[in-house]
Amino acid sequence: MSKLNQKTRTVEEINQKILKGDVQVLTAEEMKKLVESSGVEVAFKEVDVVTTGTFGAMCSSGAVVNLGHSDPPIKIQRAWFNDVEVCHSGAAVDLFIGATNSCEKRPFEYGGGHIIQELVAGNEVELRATAYGTDCYPRMAIKTTITKDDLNQFYLLNFRNCYQRYNCAVNCSDETIYTYMSKLLPRMRNATFSGAGELNPLMNDPDYETIGFGTKIFLGGGQGYIIGEGTQHSPKNLNGTLMVKGDAKKMNPEFLQGAAFTRYGTSLYVGLGIPIPILNEGLVRKTAIRDTEIFTDVIDYSVMRRDRPKLRRVSYAELKSGAITVNDKHVRVSSLSSLKMAKKVAHTLKNWIEAGQFTLTTPIERLSLDTVVKSMRQTQEIPFVSNVMHPAVTCMENEEIKIIAERIVTKAVNHIVVIDINGKLLGIVTSWDITRAMAESKKALADIETRKVITANPDEPLESASKRMAQHNISALPVIDSEHKVLGIVTSEDVSKLLGR
Amino acid sequence: MARILIRLNENIVSEPIVSEVILANKVLVAILAAHINSKGGEIVLDVPDDEVDKIVAAFRQKGATVTVPKLIEVDTNRCFSCGSCVALCPVEAIRVAEDLSIQFNKEKCVGSVCSICVDACPARAINSVKYSNTEGICSSHNHKLREK
Repeated sequence: MSKLNQKTRTVEEINQKILKGDVQVLTAEEMKKLVESSGVEVAFKEVDVVTTGTFGAMCSSGAVVNLGHSDPPIKIQRAWFNDVEVCHSGAAVDLFIGATNSCEKRPFEYGGGHIIQELVAGNEVELRATAYGTDCYPRMAIKTTITKDDLNQFYLLNFRNCYQRYNCAVNCSDETIYTYMSKLLPRMRNATFSGAGELNPLMNDPDYETIGFGTKIFLGGGQGYIIGEGTQHSPKNLNGTLMVKGDAKKMNPEFLQGAAFTRYGTSLYVGLGIPIPILNEGLVRKTAIRDTEIFTDVIDYSVMRRDRPKLRRVSYAELKSGAITVNDKHVRVSSLSSLKMAKKVAHTLKNWIEAGQFTLTTPIERLSLDTVVKSMRQTQEIPFVSNVMHPAVTCMENEEIKIIAERIVTKAVNHIVVIDINGKLLGIVTSWDITRAMAESKKALADIETRKVITANPDEPLESASKRMAQHNISALPVIDSEHKVLGIVTSEDVSKLLGR
Repeated sequence: MARILIRLNENIVSEPIVSEVILANKVLVAILAAHINSKGGEIVLDVPDDEVDKIVAAFRQKGATVTVPKLIEVDTNRCFSCGSCVALCPVEAIRVAEDLSIQFNKEKCVGSVCSICVDACPARAINSVKYSNTEGICSSHNHKLREK
């Protein structure tokens, strides 16, 4: 077979071309356009490598540092960088800076992700550590400042990066919630999504034909390696993940940025790109995948359970358009990942390969195609609102205050839930409201009822309902379904009875 | 249009001051944001440039305080263009540009009374900024004056 008509090429052949300086590299974005305009055969002939990229918040990221030994030596028990407590992960002076570790003085605002970014940028950070002292490691406390140059090793070591795709998040409740999917306004007033879609590395090689253990990658602006499947790797439903490692001393803070999610905590935005060698026409077809072919679920994050309701399937093309329709409602969507930075990752990697600075690797071992994610084994049950709620005593809005007062006495309750004829929640009145109405000679229920009612969902843990009562300084929550129909009521007495058991 | 922030204290908050000013001056204003309860209120109005002086005087005469609203500013060095702010903005002052960078339109932004985007920025690149010259009311087309 003549070389012109060959149907496959090898990584070695591609590397020869890289070293000679005549390799043909396209970014994933450029490849899709080429395949669309010229077809698979031409694209195979013309392209040796396709570069991919993603830049998103990747919470399961961190860095291993080795500090070197102090004099006298210390076997660190607890340690802090700029007041962010880090994990002590080894014998004496090895530490792990987890991206989500939070600063004690500025919780949720500054954390492990920011420490990693500062170190990568060459900034000085303060180290504090304590120890119990041993004969061989007598020192019990230390305080110093360090930069990355002072460290023996500074490795980015991320357990789970580069999710193949991720959820789209909405909030169907009546209150704003703050999540790792950022701020979600009530009644689906916004949506957020994560992931680069058609630019994502794993999406361009979904069978992990060329991506596996030992694959050299772009990581945080430097070079890194895939060291296995990531935690919670779930390839069967296209939720593959990667575990990666790289020398953080050579990384670039532009591609590793600390982040803060209000009332969730800190994280690290990681730039990650993988070169895909175009070894055959099958890989041309795979790298031609478009956002219209990549789907994810719209999920209601207001449900405080592991399994949250899926409202619909949606393509990344729709998500990137800026708006989607959910249950007939027009919902504006924001990306949490930076698509601009994802493109920059793919472009930078392309430039490195074209300049002969980055050669390709063949994986030593392929990533698993059949790992299944298990849920946690729980040996103790926790109570949910549905376990303790009881029928609510109700009234209609046109009832007289006197009748309602009588009902409070005969039913021996403190809260009356105001409903319409369909049983939907309108408001709530308490015995205190009735007392005040009497004192101020108010006759109409409408004048005294509370219309902005804080509610509970039957599926939520009792603990969170209890927390909400304390937050708002109230003693009962009507329990409602998604259509605002009143299912019952949960009171602080129910909570204390259960806890006192 | 010029943007002004009206503050009403608890003594006058229940009075229909905005309506009175609108009717008396026969001017069309846009209410961009309003937070009102029994303790007082803050209202952001867009007022035609040539009516600003008259309107400001009218509100002050009714006992309201009139200032320039605090603005929202984006630190472009911190922003890494994720875009999580985009869909939150009620006035579509934040948009994704052709090159996928995030563009912030000061002219459209309601200012600090809204602030819905501020705590949603993972890069903490969005802040509300108080300008020293709070008495000088000027057109939103003329930011130079405001920033003096």
